[in-house]
Amino acid sequence: MGRYLVRRLNLFIATTIALITVLFITTGHFPVERPYALSGIAAPTSTQLQNITDNYQLNGNQLQQFIAYAQTRLGGDLGLSVTSQRPVIEELTQALPASFELAIVAGLIAVLLGVPLGVLASLSKNKVTQHSIMAITLTGYSIPVFWLGLTLSLWFGVELGWLPVSGRINLLYEIPPVTGFMLIDTLLWDSVYRVSAFKDAVFHIILPSITLAVLPFTVVVRITRSAMLTIMEQPYIKAAEARGLHTGTIVLRHALPNALIPVLKNMGLMLGTFASYAMIVEVIFSRQGVGSWLVSGIYQRDYTVIQGGVLGVAMIIIFFSILIEVLHTAYNPLSRKEIYAAN
Amino acid sequence: MPLLDIRNLTIELDTPQGRVKALERVSLMINPGELHGLVGESGSGRTLLARAILGVPGHNWTITADRMMWDGQNLMDMSAKQRRNLMGSEIAVIFQDPMGSLDPAITVGSQLIEAMPQDKKTSFWRRNKARKAVAQKWLHKVGIKNTEEVMSSYAWELSAGECQKVMIAMAIANQPRLLIADEPTDSMELSTQAQIFRLLSKLNQLHSVSILLISHELDTLSGWCDQLTVLYCGQVMESGPTAEVLEQPFHPYTKALLDNMPDYSGGLAHKSMMQTLPGSSPALQHLPIGCRLGPRCPQAQKRCVSKPSLCHQKDRYFACHFPYNSEPCNDDTPS
Repeated sequence: MGRYLVRRLNLFIATTIALITVLFITTGHFPVERPYALSGIAAPTSTQLQNITDNYQLNGNQLQQFIAYAQTRLGGDLGLSVTSQRPVIEELTQALPASFELAIVAGLIAVLLGVPLGVLASLSKNKVTQHSIMAITLTGYSIPVFWLGLTLSLWFGVELGWLPVSGRINLLYEIPPVTGFMLIDTLLWDSVYRVSAFKDAVFHIILPSITLAVLPFTVVVRITRSAMLTIMEQPYIKAAEARGLHTGTIVLRHALPNALIPVLKNMGLMLGTFASYAMIVEVIFSRQGVGSWLVSGIYQRDYTVIQGGVLGVAMIIIFFSILIEVLHTAYNPLSRKEIYAAN
Repeated sequence: MPLLDIRNLTIELDTPQGRVKALERVSLMINPGELHGLVGESGSGRTLLARAILGVPGHNWTITADRMMWDGQNLMDMSAKQRRNLMGSEIAVIFQDPMGSLDPAITVGSQLIEAMPQDKKTSFWRRNKARKAVAQKWLHKVGIKNTEEVMSSYAWELSAGECQKVMIAMAIANQPRLLIADEPTDSMELSTQAQIFRLLSKLNQLHSVSILLISHELDTLSGWCDQLTVLYCGQVMESGPTAEVLEQPFHPYTKALLDNMPDYSGGLAHKSMMQTLPGSSPALQHLPIGCRLGPRCPQAQKRCVSKPSLCHQKDRYFACHFPYNSEPCNDDTPS
């Protein structure tokens, strides 16, 4: 297992180096002065310029420049934002929790609803139920997320007026940021309006999280269903039936743990799509997350924000896909067998 | 009263080529405390018969039978739930593929504990511990010494023999009255095979468990079983006490099986042909009408295109128009 973890760590490092290389090369092609693209200072004084030249080794050759670039970026210095003139790393860490909040809620909705529905679809003998579940998931899978977001906010936000369509919380509430997660911060808020603020935060997250959850939900349903269909025909399920166990026990104890293994694997594969969808959803519902921050950075030609945002988001995605793979290996006894065989 | 009495069981499979009678009018009778051997080539429907007895049919099966009695109760009338309860307590089964029959994602021990009988008398906080102790006791009985180690490992970490022993422990822990062993020693080395057969016959003698032993090796079965049923292509050819069947086979197929048994005395010349019946057993889509042995049978005549009914002679049964050493019964009805 130790060797396996080292191999995964190597993969993480290698991918990060490749990512930084791509960023370094594209930064060279930005249509502005190099010191400006790297630091975000539009009109540097001579001492600042000297500093930038030293930090990024701008007088050295390309390799030296690359190494200096990698060192500064990995050291946490992402430069100043061109528009706000605040450090990019600060803005990034402020925006991240909001995106995580949305992603976690959407992921929970997708898994908690998707797995039971997938099991139901696989066990149902009724053709109508099966086909309708499959038709609904196929529809959900093929709906473009921007259209869905706009339609949902039009129906539930504007025409019915049930739910708010933008922001993370009503402007009435001034919530001091503690964790950055609005749902937790409202509960930690020391005020008589705590509960109503929490309710408001929940209302604000319903529409965006449902919009974002549709795609992973449909994928989870379909994969759970197909995995369950194959597993229910396996000899060990027949053997468990022949031992006289109840169907419920068989499904929960023997079939579902085996069926969740491919689901977990596919979640890792879906992470990239999920992240880009999250950005779109954030823009549609104007939530202050990494997505809307990065998109507005792109609109404003904020070169340091683009670099920093892409680096941060990509590294998070790489980290989580590797984490899911490691979890998949740790959880799945069958893949441990492969590791033993490989060593 | 026989423990299991099946009369004219037919299983039809829905295939893309149409409906196929995979088992045609099979009769089987097992008395309490009997070791019954069921011999047949692969594809002759032995596993189908075992699954039909258990009540775990496939999705494209149609089962019809004149009679399927379990200890005086009609199995055909029972609901799925009753069948399931019966399976857990009175009928147990060991499948062909022991490794595939164990869940790969959880440890052998937890599956074993799950299969142990619930003792309602122990208080619930001690129940798990008690069941674990029972599980270890049964593992000891089937001849596994390092119980802790086996229980904490996964199915793929054990050898096929160990898996099979675990399956046997699971099957006998509920003290069933009938144990169906479907090729229990498939793909195992000879010493393990002998161990498992010894274990089964010990069970039969000490606990008077009836066992239906399914295999393709006539010579192994003949050493262990009291009764023998010979199946060919989903039809019963002959059935009766092992000694008598071996001594004087009535059916041409049984005789062919016995004649073609390889002898290891060294009489066979180097690279000489092994003796077999001409031809090969037909595929499910191209079954001959009447007696399915017909095209390969040395005794076949015109009448064999109608299926012979099962003749009863003392405690032996056979289905043939032209049996050896005996008169055919005259109640032949074309089917």
